[in-house]
Amino acid sequence: MDHSSLAGRIFRGIALALVLVFFMFPIVWILLMSFQSNEQILRIPPRLLFEPTLANYEALISGQLKTAAGNLQLTFMRNLMNSFILSSASVILALLLGVPAAYAFARFKFKLGETIAFTLLSFRFAPPLLVLLPLSLYYQQLGLNDTYFGIVWVYQLIALPLILWIVRGYFEDISPDIEHAYRLAGHSWREAFTRIAVPLAGPGIAAAGLLSFIFCWNNFVFALILASADKQPVTVGALAFVTASGIQYGQIAAAIVLSVTPTLLLALYAQRYLVEGLSLGAVKG
Amino acid sequence: MARLELTSVDKSFGAVSCAKGVSLTVEPGEIVAVFGPSGSGKTVLLRMIAGMFEPDGGDILVGGRSIVDAPPEQRGIGMAFQNFALFPHMSARDNIASGLRATGAADIATKVAAMSRLLKIEHVLGHRPRELSNGQKQRTALARALIGNPEVLLLDDPLRNVDAKLRYEMRLELPSLLRRSSAAVLYVTQDYREAMAIADRIAVLINGRLVQVARPEEIYARPASVAVARLFGDPSINLSEVTPVVEQGRLTAAVAGTLIRLDAGELSSAMRERCWLGVRPGDVVVTRHGGEGAIPARIVAVTPIHERAVVLLRFADGSEWLAALAPEALEAGADDDVFVRFAPEAALLFDHASGDRIGLSPRRQAA
Amino acid sequence: MGMLEIRSVDKLYHSRGKPPVHAVRALDMEVKQGEIVALLGSSGCGKTSTLRMIAGFESVSAGSIALAQRPIHDLPPAKRKVAMAFEGYSLYPPLTVRENIGFALKAQQLSRAEIAQRVDSIARLVEIEDILDHHPRALSGGQQQRVSLARALVRDADLYLLDEPMGQLEPQLRAVLRGRIKGLLAERGMTAIFVTHDQTEASALADRIAVMEDGVLQQFGSERELKNRPANLFVASFIGEPPMNLLDMAVAQEEGGFRLSVGSDLAFHISRQTLDVTGQQALVQAERTKVGIRPQRIAIGSGEARLRIVSNQWLGDQSHVAGECAGHLLVAVTSGKIAARPGDIVPCALEARNLHIFGADGVCVRHAEAR
Repeated sequence: MDHSSLAGRIFRGIALALVLVFFMFPIVWILLMSFQSNEQILRIPPRLLFEPTLANYEALISGQLKTAAGNLQLTFMRNLMNSFILSSASVILALLLGVPAAYAFARFKFKLGETIAFTLLSFRFAPPLLVLLPLSLYYQQLGLNDTYFGIVWVYQLIALPLILWIVRGYFEDISPDIEHAYRLAGHSWREAFTRIAVPLAGPGIAAAGLLSFIFCWNNFVFALILASADKQPVTVGALAFVTASGIQYGQIAAAIVLSVTPTLLLALYAQRYLVEGLSLGAVKG
Repeated sequence: MARLELTSVDKSFGAVSCAKGVSLTVEPGEIVAVFGPSGSGKTVLLRMIAGMFEPDGGDILVGGRSIVDAPPEQRGIGMAFQNFALFPHMSARDNIASGLRATGAADIATKVAAMSRLLKIEHVLGHRPRELSNGQKQRTALARALIGNPEVLLLDDPLRNVDAKLRYEMRLELPSLLRRSSAAVLYVTQDYREAMAIADRIAVLINGRLVQVARPEEIYARPASVAVARLFGDPSINLSEVTPVVEQGRLTAAVAGTLIRLDAGELSSAMRERCWLGVRPGDVVVTRHGGEGAIPARIVAVTPIHERAVVLLRFADGSEWLAALAPEALEAGADDDVFVRFAPEAALLFDHASGDRIGLSPRRQAA
Repeated sequence: MGMLEIRSVDKLYHSRGKPPVHAVRALDMEVKQGEIVALLGSSGCGKTSTLRMIAGFESVSAGSIALAQRPIHDLPPAKRKVAMAFEGYSLYPPLTVRENIGFALKAQQLSRAEIAQRVDSIARLVEIEDILDHHPRALSGGQQQRVSLARALVRDADLYLLDEPMGQLEPQLRAVLRGRIKGLLAERGMTAIFVTHDQTEASALADRIAVMEDGVLQQFGSERELKNRPANLFVASFIGEPPMNLLDMAVAQEEGGFRLSVGSDLAFHISRQTLDVTGQQALVQAERTKVGIRPQRIAIGSGEARLRIVSNQWLGDQSHVAGECAGHLLVAVTSGKIAARPGDIVPCALEARNLHIFGADGVCVRHAEAR
């Protein structure tokens, strides 16, 4: 009900503005930092007006970091590429494995079904650091250390449970009768899966894919231990900004902006599908 | 075309039994309504035929061939669902054509056009399901089920979610529409009027058991048991517990303390200790005047239903009956003291323990 | 003065990016003390919005609502002295059925014995004595609905609001419960408004029925009034089962009145005496007009008209015969069984005195003779 008075509405406006400032400030500040030199950033008091510089971005893209202690080689662009390769490959693999599995868990009741599904989810409970030591030993034995495939495999621990559990819910929301109707119209179960279930769960699959992409992108520990410099993603590569002559705040900010941009664009693009939801009519009488 | 046969089909989910030895034959071109209270196993039965569940025992045959091992897409079955189950991401046209596309039929466009003309949905063929009214959705679903000329047509309470006016129209249209396809039709419904209006025969399913399969008028006039009698009729049949006795050569029973003469028929041979006496509300007469065989009662309330006055009557012993009569035939109102009569031949008697009907009352026999 | 007075109430729903939805328009209604009123209409007609405005779950966009002479449209729901049974039951899951029903009475600080006595008596009325100690989740839909009804009816309130009160009830119980609840409401002089989409329910329970469509009150009257004197085409075709037969007829003036006809198959003489001034004007101006006749008013077996049978359905206590006559599909209902098969041609009687005649704007300008 909207029994609100003028005073109530003003109060609501102020409260909303405060919340907005609180959440948006760090993001805006990082954006501003990325266009400042280290000296400008460390000025006290900080200023909102400054002469913007693209030096940070130049350094990242050219790979030459100038510090007081001399020039350093940066592999930021390579790290960014690695992040991209690792996250995309992980999500694609997880979708290929997870969507059919989610469908099976949603549609069929089988022995130990719930147990298996829960076990898969429980991989998310274990602290990655505890898993890492044995895992790196195995990886050395198997020759998977410092390979893209090895890291993509480990990333399945992050992506697969997410996709499985989110997409399963979406499949459960589709009336099985719709698939039955499609089969009675003369189609095999494979066709019912690809032409009915997957398109109808599309928004859910997009949401799960996006989330797991973000989680993979932001992962740090696995790649830190299991990958060497030329396979490392941005999260690990960012360590290079902690140099002998201090921390390169400007470059860090620029690196953040660059590494956030792809996921942000992806999220904005996918938002349409995420919001559209399952309300396609006829699903529910 | 082919006949549909179920032979002693069993099905249970855990401890819940949904079908117990169900045997039923549906001839091509025949419409059989499967009717019963909710939870009686109607839908499960349909779904076993469609191949969504596997029967635990028994066999399902179409044209003499068992289909229990065939996947749904190879059973030659068309089905319409209570919740329509249209493909939400396809237009009405693509929904209807989906079956034809799968079999690679020729002249898809012509066939879809003809079917949609028959069902009066030509003007909405380009729309997605969410843009259709419930009536149009159901017609689209029917078109989709009918278009492949299936040998067996399964309709799972198709008019449930359609508004009253449209449901009535469809009730008139459906029988000829279904017969035109000459498929063997199984029609599940929870509305006894719908079953009587549409079906050639009605199969009454209670707790997974077929308790009576017969023509509609037969079931209404001669229900096999109390349970069946209660399901047919709105308002439903009045029941009183009686102990019939023979007095002066006549069979009588005390209803709410008043001795009523019953029709002897073949009853004397079938005399039981205790019986259920059933009288349909339409056979109950309410008058101002007493006399022999008139049970005193008080009118609790009068409610008009389906152009009739339905009178809730309370007898001296606290039991309640309903009478349904033409509004102009009622000379009394709420709180009035009246008398209740019924013709001896209007009374149905059922065994108290088993619920089975006893004997035949002559008038009903003639019906 | 009425118990409940609704004065020019409007309800608009605003949603972002879409034009506002006008759910209720200029609604005027007065409900008398002790009256049972049904709000009847198809989904989206505004009946539920109206009920929720009276209960206080929706604000009114314009207009006023007064209950027992108190304006209530600005009061929160708890202060309105209304009891409501919800369509979704809304029972309190952790409480037993008995506690659910007695919940509001406890707040009224009645004695324990009084509460127990009231709960038992209402439970007996709706036949839930045997499940009083169960929890709601163990109940069937029909049982939950009866508990929800009991919880509303047990309270002391100025007004009882029931949203689809019997939709889920077992059909065998429905007729008896309707009678009992109607008896209870009448005995205690309780004022009640209920929402339903089922006209059988509306006519069975209500003293007066408000028919709504597109947010507009179409007609407000007793079941008999709605059936015998429908205000317009909508009410005429909405009320009555089976729906009223409608024919599109040509109008011509003739000696002493008007001639209504369909081709050469069917013609009626409407005497000028049976029409009031507006009726005469409407027919003078019209070339064609809509005419309605109730299925119960068509007699089969005798008469001038010819009906080519399309379907003949025996429902145990009545026959529904549908057939083609003068290019229209007509439905007739008779209490006896008719021996006719599809394709047969049978005589049927359509009489001029049984016709409802509608003007160009759909308003009924002449009603059939009452029976």
